[in-house]
Amino acid sequence: MKDKDLNQKDRRAFLLGMGAAGVSAAFAGPVLAASGSEPESKWDREHEIVIIGSGFAGLAAAIQAKKLGAKDVVIYEKMPVLGGNSAINGGLFAAPGTPLQKKEGVTDSADIMAGDQMKAGRGVADEALLKHIASRANEALQLTIDAGAEYFPYLQQLGGHSVPRTYQTTVTSGGGITQPLIKECRRLGVKIVNRAKFEKFVVDEKGAVVGAVINEGYYFGRGRKGKPVRVRSQRGVLIAAGGFASNVGLRSAQDPTLTAEVPSTNIPGATGEALLEMFRVGAVPVHMAFIQTGPWASPDEGGFGYVSNYSIFNFPHSISVDVKTGRRFMDEIADRKTRADAQLARRDDEGNPMPPVTITSYEHAKAHPSVKKVLKYGVGWKFDTLEELAEHHGIPFAELKKQVDQYNTYVKNGVDEQFGKSMEKAKGKFIEAPFVTVRNWPKVHYCHGGAQIDVQARVLDSSTWKPIPGLFAAGEVSGGTHGQSRLGSCSIPDCMVMGMTAAETMMSA
Amino acid sequence: MMMKKLGKLVFLSVTVAFVAGAGLADSTLEQFDKIKGRSYHASFYDGESCDVCHETNRATSLPADDACQSCHDLDSLVEATARPAGEEGQNPHDNLHYGRDVPCMECHGEHQARQHMCADCHSFEYPNFKE
Repeated sequence: MKDKDLNQKDRRAFLLGMGAAGVSAAFAGPVLAASGSEPESKWDREHEIVIIGSGFAGLAAAIQAKKLGAKDVVIYEKMPVLGGNSAINGGLFAAPGTPLQKKEGVTDSADIMAGDQMKAGRGVADEALLKHIASRANEALQLTIDAGAEYFPYLQQLGGHSVPRTYQTTVTSGGGITQPLIKECRRLGVKIVNRAKFEKFVVDEKGAVVGAVINEGYYFGRGRKGKPVRVRSQRGVLIAAGGFASNVGLRSAQDPTLTAEVPSTNIPGATGEALLEMFRVGAVPVHMAFIQTGPWASPDEGGFGYVSNYSIFNFPHSISVDVKTGRRFMDEIADRKTRADAQLARRDDEGNPMPPVTITSYEHAKAHPSVKKVLKYGVGWKFDTLEELAEHHGIPFAELKKQVDQYNTYVKNGVDEQFGKSMEKAKGKFIEAPFVTVRNWPKVHYCHGGAQIDVQARVLDSSTWKPIPGLFAAGEVSGGTHGQSRLGSCSIPDCMVMGMTAAETMMSA
Repeated sequence: MMMKKLGKLVFLSVTVAFVAGAGLADSTLEQFDKIKGRSYHASFYDGESCDVCHETNRATSLPADDACQSCHDLDSLVEATARPAGEEGQNPHDNLHYGRDVPCMECHGEHQARQHMCADCHSFEYPNFKE
């Protein structure tokens, strides 16, 4: 039977079963403006575990709950398609102590990885969470492989990481993970309902989250709110609803520089209303103003596009130059915030954005499949000589030539005298013709802020500093883990591990 | 029920034209009395058969996500829009981000022009896609 059929069968059985699935009282008439004060008996549905969001965190939680014996797990997804932002990101997965690290002779550990993350987090990251995630990242990676995710047979070293430790899916997108996980969820009997938007929590008189109001038949962006149904959850509600990078009002309220003029790599549905609901029932807001922009994005395409993965792979053996001066202006593999800040400072004489140009030898660029797409879809360019390159981008040739020659001595000597870049992945990779170029400019990518959780994925209450009974959060919607700057490829292990952890906590209660 | 069968017959003949007549990027929207619809669905409008897609003939609700698939076979669509080697994941009916799970109406509109979802981030050209 095809997946699609299974899904729809699931869905139909689920909808038909609403009258018999342990519902204590069928709900008739208009639903009141729901609040904790409503009688708890008025339920339309009942499930063992209710998960909001179908990205990495929600899918990992559903699979782990099933493995631990959960009989009835439901995932509600507000968008028409499944996978959330996880389905469109770069598919980069950092983990220490993996088989590929052993094969490539890389020395690493959970403490070293968490240490790199603490450094990028600029003193305000959550060390306990980072260590917990790093210590189980390899296990989470294995879960995706067991479900059918496929990765390139080599590691990448991303900005801010002290060693190469990043896997990437062969389709260079998180879709290479969400698709197998969705399939696995269906195989295990997890119910997945699309066009179903979380509206609010149902809280009992003791302040415990005992259910949620879900608008079924919600059509994102089409003005159809759907029909509210009250869903009881026996073991609590897990919010795995992602960040708010696509909510311009919310993000610019936190950081006024992030107006509508700054594009985003995220899906339009990354709007954060589930996060705001958590605050309404008492969750602690953490680091809401720390919103990351991706320094590998391109102003020449929409969303995450193709240049992002291309740049992430190629930065270690490329130079990024200021168009006006022909000179480098940053360590091309510094952490994201360092690079994005440096890029945003590239301006013409009137102060208008002047996206820098990243130059890579075709010889080394071509080792990654994205280069073909970058050239084919006109978001990158190939040149046979440095003169042609300089002319096309309007870069002063003499200065550029000087910079390239200077940088090539760093490649030879293994020491970057300009910016102290780690030359581990640049060994023997001189900047030589033919060249490939792309333009880079930051896009809003990741929201570090969210609701505070503990290492058991329990959401803390701002009045008691104890977990809010029945409320769990995992993934980007939780806050504080990464501090001021999340390292690339560290979100997937975060989402996966905390999703698994949430399921374990819910199942052990 | 009868209309569904008729729909299937009409569709089969259109499939042939669709596969053979590549390169038409124009719209197939046409005015049928008070409502716009697709030229290749003309027979539904003759009989005011809204229930072919909508649950009732009043057409007050949007069609189910899999409504189109009561006539259009997904396997055939996947085959018809297969992409060349190296670009397999760009097949709109079976792609690397969402597999085969994209509800038809996220890219196609029966009564209005629409843009395909891929265009949110990518500049792919799908020559047979009708706005």
